[in-house]
Amino acid sequence: MALLEIEHLKKYFPSARGTVHAVDDVTFSIGKGETMGLVGESGCGKSTLGRTIIHLLESTEGTIRFQGEDVTRLDKRGLKKLREDMQIIFQDPYSSLNPRLTVHDTVVEPLMLSKRFEGDALEAEADRLMDLVGIEKRFRMSYPHELDGGRRQRVGIARAIALNPKLVVCDEPVSALDVSIQAQILNLLMDLQEEYELTYLFVTHDLSVVRHISTNICVMYLGQMVETCPTQELFDHPLHPYTKALLSAIPTIDIHNQKERILLKGEINSPINPKPGCRFALRCPYATEKCHQPVELHEISEGHFCSCCRLNEIN
Amino acid sequence: MEHTKSNKKELLSVRNLVVEYTSGGEAIHAVNGVSFELEEGSTIGLVGETGAGKTSIARAILRILPDHATRAVSGEVYFKGKELLTLPENEMRTLRGKSISMIFQDPMTALNPVKTVVDQIAEGIRLHQKMGKAESIREAVKMLETVGISEDRANEYPHQFSGGMKQRVVIAIALACNPELLIAAEPTTALDVTIQAQVLDLMQKLQKDRGTAMIMITHDLGVVAGVCDTVAVVYAGEVIEYGSKEDLFDHPTHPYTQGLFGALPDLTKNVKRLSPVEGLPPDPTNLPAGCSFAPRCKYATDACRQAPVGMTEMTEKHFVRCINCGKEA
Repeated sequence: MALLEIEHLKKYFPSARGTVHAVDDVTFSIGKGETMGLVGESGCGKSTLGRTIIHLLESTEGTIRFQGEDVTRLDKRGLKKLREDMQIIFQDPYSSLNPRLTVHDTVVEPLMLSKRFEGDALEAEADRLMDLVGIEKRFRMSYPHELDGGRRQRVGIARAIALNPKLVVCDEPVSALDVSIQAQILNLLMDLQEEYELTYLFVTHDLSVVRHISTNICVMYLGQMVETCPTQELFDHPLHPYTKALLSAIPTIDIHNQKERILLKGEINSPINPKPGCRFALRCPYATEKCHQPVELHEISEGHFCSCCRLNEIN
Repeated sequence: MEHTKSNKKELLSVRNLVVEYTSGGEAIHAVNGVSFELEEGSTIGLVGETGAGKTSIARAILRILPDHATRAVSGEVYFKGKELLTLPENEMRTLRGKSISMIFQDPMTALNPVKTVVDQIAEGIRLHQKMGKAESIREAVKMLETVGISEDRANEYPHQFSGGMKQRVVIAIALACNPELLIAAEPTTALDVTIQAQVLDLMQKLQKDRGTAMIMITHDLGVVAGVCDTVAVVYAGEVIEYGSKEDLFDHPTHPYTQGLFGALPDLTKNVKRLSPVEGLPPDPTNLPAGCSFAPRCKYATDACRQAPVGMTEMTEKHFVRCINCGKEA
């Protein structure tokens, strides 16, 4: 059974100029111990989706099921219980850590609030966590501003996994880091996943990172889900025109095999009161009248879903 | 291709460039003896991580280092035979924006929020090409069209444009006076991949059409692979590996360069775990006595830690700052 299932999930925001359709009808599930990579460009709603799933934002429509239970609407107590199982690691560890708490105090806080640990056991557990994520002893009494980005992110990770959550939303956790630090953090996340059978929802704009860490990928464009399937399948047989353009735009380090880039015209349009139909149609080289009718997901092969209505004509 | 390249004339030669900042009385050794050459119309990539000194090199060439924090600049920068570091400020001012211009990472802070984009492009044209207002505006509109922005958006302000469009405006400003050298500091880092592809494509096309040479400063080896002819890997203010794109990508030799490649998730290979260099770059206020990479290097010996390490030529024009490279293992 899947750990997390979301169905037709929507998140709208009111704004002065109309309703922002940040997440519009997204459906997928993540199995225990797997990593779902959520990719797309700025403003496509990937972070909003991650935050809606863990109830940092209240969903507008649709259902969220966690361990088979409907958790779409919860009261305060239910939410508190759920939060122990669902955690988040943010992109910018600097603004997500309390500047007035030391590393030690930041890690101790969730342990204390959970009332699972006391006295010496509390200290021992905090030490174990900081050892686990690789924060050296000499940094444990430091404040966030005294740490480099990589270490700050380790503190963010320690705090997120403190209460043995089942699902961790990783919201661009390595985007602000240099490549060698980025690789260190990715390795840490994968080690932790193996050891504790963690399930990740990994939100990122970086397709090379997502290919490395994910079992499945979901591609979003302007709030809509355009394609989802197992990672290797997506890179071998991308079906949606947007996915293809996105994959071709990744700068490759293979200098003898520079890919032919599919250059998209124009830029992402506005998610405010969007017209019905495929939102990529305005930039899509294959768009026709048909594309302005409401979209639905087609299952092309087992586990491979795509929203393009001209799928068969294009591929 | 290779043959035509070698006939080209040298445009820029940086020799032994040193930049020192000061902060709270401490000396920060940002750039420590950097040398490289650039031929007309070709592109060199300066690659390295945050704090490696890439941007300080660029700013030193243009002489736009922050006055209050800069303690010392030494070395030589020859641009078409002229030494820039000792050039009087008024001569330098005629070069900036005309012969050498720069594109910054963040297009929002590089643009003036209270002037229309066409005015901002026309400003440089008017200043450097002695044109009247109307004529400079006409030139500016032409330039906007070259970067793919239509005339009817010319009188809009920067906040009305998206990130990718703003960066196009910045490119238009930088190329308006047909500079011989363009310094691009992380020009696409703040952009989404599909927009990055558009902007890189545009830059390469304009560069080819106009024969502009370019210094591409980036942390992204993928971008380097796409646009550069030669590459200099910068670590702790030093060039630690220098060579043609083929040398660097086919035979990365310095342990740090190898570490950079090991840290990248490669789209064509499946590896279970990445193999980055462990640890962090050294503190620029307190650099090691010997090789600056030695504290993180798994091959380091006592000899590495004793004295500064010079460049070794591995093959023709492929240099590595390592005393162990080239020795038989």
